[in-house]
Amino acid sequence: MTELTLYEEAMCCSTGVCGPDPDDELVAVSAALDQLEDAFDDLEVTRANMQHNIDQFLETKRIYDRVQADGPSVLPITVVDDEIVAEGEYLSYDELTAAIDGSAAPQEA
Amino acid sequence: MARTQRSAESAATSAREIVEPSGDDTEFVFFSGKGGVGKSTVSCATATWLADNDYETLLVTTDPAPNLSDIFGQAIGHEVTAIDGVENLSAIEIDPDTAAEEYRQETIEPMRELLGDEEIETVEEQLNSPCVEEIAAFDNFVDFMDSPEYDAVVFDTAPTGHTIRLMELPSDWNAELEKGGSTCIGPAASMEDRKREYERAIDTLQDDERTSFAFVGKPEGSSIDEIERSASDLGELGIESQLLILNGYLPESVCDDPFFEGKRADEQAVIERAREEFDADATATYPLQPGEIAGLDLLADVGGVLYDGAEATVDVGTATDVDGDGTEHVDSDGAVDFESMTDADAVVDQLTPGEETQYLFFTGKGGVGKSTVASTAATKLAEAGHETLVVTTDPAAHLEDIFGEPVGHEPTPVGQENLDAARIDQEKALAEYREQVLDHVTEMYEDKADTQIDVDAAIANVEEELESPCAEEMAALEKFVSYFDEDGYDVVVFDTAPTGHTLRLLELPSDWKGFMDLGSLTKGAAPAKGDQYDAVIETMKDPERSTFAFVMYPEYTPMMEAYRAAADLEDQVGIETSLVVANYLLPEEYGDNAFFANRRAQQAQYLEEIRDRFDAPLMLAPLRRDEPIGLDELSAFGEEITGLADVAEADAPEVTPS
Repeated sequence: MTELTLYEEAMCCSTGVCGPDPDDELVAVSAALDQLEDAFDDLEVTRANMQHNIDQFLETKRIYDRVQADGPSVLPITVVDDEIVAEGEYLSYDELTAAIDGSAAPQEA
Repeated sequence: MARTQRSAESAATSAREIVEPSGDDTEFVFFSGKGGVGKSTVSCATATWLADNDYETLLVTTDPAPNLSDIFGQAIGHEVTAIDGVENLSAIEIDPDTAAEEYRQETIEPMRELLGDEEIETVEEQLNSPCVEEIAAFDNFVDFMDSPEYDAVVFDTAPTGHTIRLMELPSDWNAELEKGGSTCIGPAASMEDRKREYERAIDTLQDDERTSFAFVGKPEGSSIDEIERSASDLGELGIESQLLILNGYLPESVCDDPFFEGKRADEQAVIERAREEFDADATATYPLQPGEIAGLDLLADVGGVLYDGAEATVDVGTATDVDGDGTEHVDSDGAVDFESMTDADAVVDQLTPGEETQYLFFTGKGGVGKSTVASTAATKLAEAGHETLVVTTDPAAHLEDIFGEPVGHEPTPVGQENLDAARIDQEKALAEYREQVLDHVTEMYEDKADTQIDVDAAIANVEEELESPCAEEMAALEKFVSYFDEDGYDVVVFDTAPTGHTLRLLELPSDWKGFMDLGSLTKGAAPAKGDQYDAVIETMKDPERSTFAFVMYPEYTPMMEAYRAAADLEDQVGIETSLVVANYLLPEEYGDNAFFANRRAQQAQYLEEIRDRFDAPLMLAPLRRDEPIGLDELSAFGEEITGLADVAEADAPEVTPS
């Protein structure tokens, strides 16, 4: 069982299809996460954004500390099985696959 | 007569069965209808009638400018308050703005621990979205839909089809919720918590044993058409409209000249048509009164007529109190000099285009005659030699009927030199918006280095997202903004959509621009889009280039609704109202009796109040025997509206030759 959690900035709509123009990054990451769920049997994907899932930020000490220290610009934070694999940017599908396969070296412990 | 009386009685019996609790469960009665049709009056009368019949009753209003206090003659407010003099009756006034603010604060509170003031402010601005307001509004209903201590709960407002559709959580959003993502309807987590409550509320709404949906309208063709549209929206969601109340028909005894006899005949024909065509279980009517309906006696009269088949009491003998406030325009004979209350030159100033294209917005709630006034203004401007485009953003637009010419998505001539008309076709606008978004996404993937992503599946995802009600709104907005780029017009006249929807449409450019500036919603938003929105907002805010005219008729609710809408527009977008159109003024030459003298004095009183509230010149428009149809009638009607007849004279010859 692998857990992939994405901690994101406060936002109204995480799908990216909202507003005059679609948000490229959000559209890409939403599609990537959907596809990952199909590709990996025992993968659980969770997205938490500060506006709607503030509890997850408050309860996860490491994330709490990171945001408090560096502010929301440190978001999004991608976590695979308790390991922070990316900060400040969304990973592409290829990068996410690599991170899940454990072949990518974590950026920070 | 005997037959009429019998049918009145049987109508009352069915009306009674609809609003009375049918078993042990609490009965919920919702009154739907536009402002100014007497919805509050009917709600108060229904609640009072139920209480008088020994049902423990709660009356809930979510009107932002409630007048329950005036009707019952006592302060009510945000707490459940017992009504003096009526056993078993309590009432509460919920301020939807306060409710939305509370909702926002509840969402923000836990973030304060983690975020600085500046960041909190950013989130606060994000939560200032129309969707959040819609959720908060629905919460107001949900909170009272579990009230076992009452036999009946009467709501003087009903959720719209749009809101219910939002709250039904379309299946693809459910999937999104499971993943913990968020949708534009908001907080996935808190939605999840309340999901069961929402589902139960919607179940109750759809259960016609427990819930009654009633529409209140005026006996006018357009009013019935609008009710039919709203009812069919609700019907698609499995909610039946059971009761139709047509309020404010002219009493026979006071119509003693051809003008009002004719109007009365039209109203009766509309009532007849509604009885035959509208798919309600019962239709009930109540006449116009010489004054406003307030106090328990009049409420009892209304309840008796609607639910017991009693005859209405219309007491026209009451003389107008000419010493009252704001009646200095009423002379000793009771005649009202409306003209003395306005300044035609100031109106002409606002209407006449300058060097650049002038934008003229006629806004206001449905049923105030906005489309007719906008079309009339456009006709007069075109006659005066200005190249004019009139656009309606109202999905229920009837510009075709007004001009008697087809009006499409793109500007087309309507038979008057210098005049084109257009309407936003919601379906076409949505198709255009979808195409634009899908093109964008397709292009985005062309540039992406991701090797393994299934582009077709990604695009299918986006397509599903485009089914949301938010997408419809964005689509309409995109089209609205595009009319600012139409070349070759001296004047563009907008007949904006009714209800809060209009203003949201107008406010959205600045809302979305706000999001883009904040950078967190649409990080990758194309700067070109931001600039286009900026330009539109700047144009709308510039009083030299844009004129905002609020259309209303001089009565309490329409005035308050317009006043609130104008205040919102100023607070949120920074647009000032520069004209007020007071429509349906009673003509002097007809209605020579105490009844109409009272009505005229009441109109004069509200005109005074409108003048005090809005710091803008008044355009006065008279009540007509018939709505003007076609260019000739529009032109003639224009002669009777303050300022419009003078547009030609004020016109400088330097404008584009036709």
